[in-house]
Amino acid sequence: MSDASPRRSPTELERSLAHDLVYELSLRLDAGDFAGYLERCAPDLRYTIGAYSPELRKPMLWLDLDKPGLRTLFDTLPRHHSDHARLSRHVTVYKVEGPPDVDDDGGAGGGDLQVVSALQVFRTVLDGGATTLFAVGKLFDTVRLDLETRAARLVRRRIELDTRMLGIGSHLPL
Amino acid sequence: MARTADAWERPPGLPETHFVDARIYSDPTIFEEERAQIFGRTWVIACHESELPSPHDYRTFQHPAGVGLVAVRGADGEVRAFYNVCPHRGNVLVHDPAGNARALTCIFHAWTFDSAGHCTGIARRKEGYQDRLSPSDVGLRRVACQVGFGGFVWVNLDDRAPGLRDHIGPALGLLEPHLAAPLEVFHYQQVILDANFKLWHDTNSEFYHDYMHHFNRVTGMLQPGYFDRKYVPYPNGHASVGSMQVRYDSYAGGGERKVGWPGLAPGGWILVDLFPGITYNLRTSVLRIDTAIPLAPGRTLLELRGLGLKSDSPAERAERVRDHNTIWGPFGRNLHEDFLGVVGQGRTTRDARAGSRFILHAREEERGIHDEVGMRHYYAEWSRRLGRSAAHPFAGIGATSGTATATHPPEPR
Repeated sequence: MSDASPRRSPTELERSLAHDLVYELSLRLDAGDFAGYLERCAPDLRYTIGAYSPELRKPMLWLDLDKPGLRTLFDTLPRHHSDHARLSRHVTVYKVEGPPDVDDDGGAGGGDLQVVSALQVFRTVLDGGATTLFAVGKLFDTVRLDLETRAARLVRRRIELDTRMLGIGSHLPL
Repeated sequence: MARTADAWERPPGLPETHFVDARIYSDPTIFEEERAQIFGRTWVIACHESELPSPHDYRTFQHPAGVGLVAVRGADGEVRAFYNVCPHRGNVLVHDPAGNARALTCIFHAWTFDSAGHCTGIARRKEGYQDRLSPSDVGLRRVACQVGFGGFVWVNLDDRAPGLRDHIGPALGLLEPHLAAPLEVFHYQQVILDANFKLWHDTNSEFYHDYMHHFNRVTGMLQPGYFDRKYVPYPNGHASVGSMQVRYDSYAGGGERKVGWPGLAPGGWILVDLFPGITYNLRTSVLRIDTAIPLAPGRTLLELRGLGLKSDSPAERAERVRDHNTIWGPFGRNLHEDFLGVVGQGRTTRDARAGSRFILHAREEERGIHDEVGMRHYYAEWSRRLGRSAAHPFAGIGATSGTATATHPPEPR
């Protein structure tokens, strides 16, 4: 299916399922529920974080994981020393686009939704609870729906960060 | 046994080459001396030539001595560096960090300068200055600039400083055979750390902190050859660490790296620390360069670069980027841990009352990987440059580390 194919408007059900998934993923990560996060990802997930560098005048890729890679990242966290400040994600879904009107064979379009969201991540330190802005950017998600079971799964998440100065960084995805 | 206040203030019973007074990380007088006497007179990396690929490309740089610079590639291909300051009214000449401009034009009053630093245009010059001011009198301040050692753009504010080759000496000898192919920066990141710049360089100058890195423990410390790596000190405060075979497949989810580096053995890793704040870190498939830029006694701007080969295919580049990000990206396993360590030090050294009193650099293991000779060697050079002992920095100007009370032989130079 060509990316250039015009996409139809999502149905209310599709829109609702997409919204719920994006917000649920953020809640899972905020809660440190990594298993719950992965449950909502498709087996063929690809997760990336990137940013455009005005210094290099090029895009940069900072994290690129498939689902097993993301699982390994979560599983190995206890073996690493990580900042214990809490990251809180604030997401606003800006746009949901339905599948293309027609598929490559000329039939009725079926397939994945495209979702664009704004992302803000805040960091709250343990001692005293001061909160600072960690990063801002956008989420570009591909969401796969199973309308029979009303299940939504994340297939592709591309995070484009505006923020490039990330302090001491993080061992966690955003 | 926990110590009393008096005991805490007492210097450790070690040679003064083997510890430093924590106040060297916070004292404002020392900080200003470092800027003037060290950074104002030495070669530092401003950027890489791949950041200026075309004629008239420019790239700005915050010089650690305090001044902003701009590097420009001329129509003749030569890279030159200047103060990023318009000589007219002192406005910043170039505002964006990178770009391309046939003429550098100050937005304030439209004065223009070419890539050689000549003033080429003064708006309404005749009307305002008549014949009292010539463009030749108001060129940019040019800064010594050389491209080398992997294609990096080096600058020096001191017009009378020895050349770059003299400064580096043999320190990059282990790496130079691997720096012949044209390189390209694919990762650039700035980080501001609440810690003195020397604390970051200290961390890059010792491997004992591999205990903090799970990744390095399983792929390096637990593997054959790790403890065979040796520190080699060089003149001017530089030091290197030789290679080993890192076993990347020992980390969960890891695998042997699929691309290598010209002339470097598979899994190889060479690290060179250059005084006063640059580290070359060639790890199997990626060259990482750290540049520490002091902003205040307890505040440091780091510039972190990741480089591959200019000749990389898209697939090779993707592998290098992935390898880099696994440990060194902002979401990588090692970088975050290094920051936690150094920011922790920054908290206890932020002023004379913050807790730390003396910092030990006293491990001796025949210059092996956990020997702290790299830091001792650094502070010997630091003391020589400032005319202060790092162990007793306020004991009197002229006292230098490594001369008076050391019971061990001085470090080889």
